[in-house]
Amino acid sequence: MYLSVYVNNNIYKLRGPHFTGCRSREQETFRCWWSAGIFQNLTEPGALRVFYQTKNFLSEWQECPDYTRTVKNECYFNKTFTQIWTSYCIQLRSVRENITYDEACFTVENIVHPDPPIGLNWTLLNVSRSGLHFDVLVRWAPPPSADVQMGWMSLVYQVQYRVRNNSHWEMLDLESGTQQSIYGLHTDKEYEVRVRCKMSAFDNFGEFSDSIIVHVAQIPSKESTFPTTLVLIFGVIGVVILLVLLIFSQQQRLMVIFLPPIPAPKIKGIDPELLKNGKLDQLNSLLSSQDMYKPDFYHEDPWVEFIQLDLDDPAEKNESSDTQHLLGVSRSGSSHVLNFKSDDDSGRASCYDPEIPNPEDLASLLPGHSGRGDNHPLVSRSSSSIPDLGVQQTSEVEETPIQTQPAVPSWVNMDFYAQVSDFTPAGGVVLSPGQLNSCPEKKKEEENEKKIQFQLVSDGAYTSENTARQLSASVPPSPGPEQGYQTFPTQAVEGNLWNGEYLVSTSDSQTPYLLPEAPPAPILPPVSDYTVVQEVDAQHSLLLNPPSSQPAICPHSPNKHLPAMPTMPMGYLTPDLLGNLTP
Amino acid sequence: MSLTLCSPTLCLYFSLSLGLSLWAVAVLLVALLCLDPHSRVSSAPICTHGPSGCHVPSLADLFDRVIQHSARMHSLSNDLHSEFEQYFLPSKNSIGKIYRKCHTSSILTPNGKENAQKLAREELTEVILKLLMAWRDPLFQLHQSMAHQQDFNSFSSNKALEMGDMTHELRKGVEKVAEKMRVLGMLGNSVTGLSPAETMLPISDSGEAMSNYELLYCFRRDSNKVQNYLKILKCRIIPEHDC
Repeated sequence: MYLSVYVNNNIYKLRGPHFTGCRSREQETFRCWWSAGIFQNLTEPGALRVFYQTKNFLSEWQECPDYTRTVKNECYFNKTFTQIWTSYCIQLRSVRENITYDEACFTVENIVHPDPPIGLNWTLLNVSRSGLHFDVLVRWAPPPSADVQMGWMSLVYQVQYRVRNNSHWEMLDLESGTQQSIYGLHTDKEYEVRVRCKMSAFDNFGEFSDSIIVHVAQIPSKESTFPTTLVLIFGVIGVVILLVLLIFSQQQRLMVIFLPPIPAPKIKGIDPELLKNGKLDQLNSLLSSQDMYKPDFYHEDPWVEFIQLDLDDPAEKNESSDTQHLLGVSRSGSSHVLNFKSDDDSGRASCYDPEIPNPEDLASLLPGHSGRGDNHPLVSRSSSSIPDLGVQQTSEVEETPIQTQPAVPSWVNMDFYAQVSDFTPAGGVVLSPGQLNSCPEKKKEEENEKKIQFQLVSDGAYTSENTARQLSASVPPSPGPEQGYQTFPTQAVEGNLWNGEYLVSTSDSQTPYLLPEAPPAPILPPVSDYTVVQEVDAQHSLLLNPPSSQPAICPHSPNKHLPAMPTMPMGYLTPDLLGNLTP
Repeated sequence: MSLTLCSPTLCLYFSLSLGLSLWAVAVLLVALLCLDPHSRVSSAPICTHGPSGCHVPSLADLFDRVIQHSARMHSLSNDLHSEFEQYFLPSKNSIGKIYRKCHTSSILTPNGKENAQKLAREELTEVILKLLMAWRDPLFQLHQSMAHQQDFNSFSSNKALEMGDMTHELRKGVEKVAEKMRVLGMLGNSVTGLSPAETMLPISDSGEAMSNYELLYCFRRDSNKVQNYLKILKCRIIPEHDC
């Protein structure tokens, strides 16, 4: 019976007399309690009465068999009045008022709350190596009131523990036996352990047993962990130091292993150091030695022929003398002499090809070419000195090509650069013919080269520029300051020339410079080039170029043959020399 | 710098040898397992003669097995009943249980420990068997109705099915125990076999077929009875300490 009361906007539910609970401890007896509630006038004993009814056979209501004297408001049902598996209904009545205040129905097995287990104790299982944790085994005995031996009640237990004075209890799983182990407890901490039980397959737990205190004092471990940590730290540091030392000592090897060097590009046969530091001639030799750079000019230039002049005996004599003269003249290096600069071929030592001695070249060697007042044999005059003569010669040059030499473009056999070999007192630069390295590409270069190549040796009449102009048939005469400065390293001089056979017969104007016996040789194509006396062969002929049979080292050797020199400046030969030369 | 561990041919040899060895080991193991007589699973001979070479379970063992079985059965019934109560009867009075009349109420069963102890062994055994027999069909019906209804998940219906099977098994076991007891002379011949005609249909007092909840409630009670009766019986048949 409930009574709702409003006090200060709060609802208080006040209850009248009601049952507060019924419990059975061992499934053989049970008790029920009630309360009078707010009805204080019903608190005296006997005012409220309990009636029960077992619903087996619809028996009538019976009053409580035993009102407990010691406990207030308790009704006790002993064994005889307790029936298991039977529904009970109890009522709280006020007999005087004939009011039933409360009623409840139940079956006894559902109100069983077993007594707490007894004999709770613990034993130490083990302590951890660190001494910080320990395990215990907790034991207990079933409540004596429960008949577990016969099996009338099959109990399951639940152990709970907590750190002392803590509010949270740790709960372990249900245990059907009478012992359980607790793991992972901390030393130096006090634990409370308690246990309770319930009937298996039922939900009502009994009361907790009394708590026991579990405590294990921490044993100060004799071996401390401090040295172990220190040893570990030192060991690691030592290993690290060793590693660093190893790396630094073997740095090079490690670098090779981990970062292998990338091979630099290499060209077969060429030393990169030489490329960096070598001289130009070495480089030239190197590059020329590569097969790929060596065009087969010899086969491509059919017109390249090497003229060999056979000398008769007297010619030989003369020739030898002539040769000696030539050589001697060249060696003296004095004025008005053909200056065979053997060292002019700096950079083209291997590139000496037998150049075809142009008649013009030979002619130019003849003395009689006066008009040069320079002392220096290598001086070349400006073209302006003898302009008119050059004009004449030019025309003549063009008309008379050398027979032996087919008319070829002049640029084929030209050098494209010259090397400064000496300086004139006047301040001019004397050039030596450079290496015939490249194929004829630039006409202008060739022109210059051709012009440069002439070397005014003697102080005789010298028409280097004229001859240059004449030589370069396709090239318009363009006198330049540098034209006159040419070196004339070689002269396609052969013995025959001095004998009077001139390959160069340029013009009538030149004929006075030529030997009278000189037949008008066909004028070589106006190619200004030069040659260097290489050697004297067995036939006592001056080989101006290496013969075609010899492997030409210089790829441009064909170009190096003597261009047709229509008119050789007569200044190359002194009259004395000429006199010697003439038979 | 070549990083290969071995030349191709050498590696091939290694792998081949490894594979062959593994295969040989596997073959050996299989042979051992197959040829080992002890590992072969063979059926034990039927123990026609008691103690000769065959382990015959004693009565105590039989009782233990049966009791364990009944405990499991009761636990299952309790779980199912709790589920029903949770979903279908939210307002549960702690001490108030509505009276239900079960179909097995007509079977006279001792309602207390002392009453059960006072009962004769044969009668106790008979009561047990009666109870188990009475629940064979109702449990089957319970499973059928639970499987058809969509309120229950398959877990619950499986539990009901298992419960029915367990009851069947338990009955068989108890019959064996009774047979054994009879053989041993512990039971008289007054135990009468249960006639199939005595099977009762679960009908509530109102005449309708009992609902699932009522069935579960009744079965939970009866399984508890069976469990306790078996324990009492065992204690009485096999003299143990303080039984």
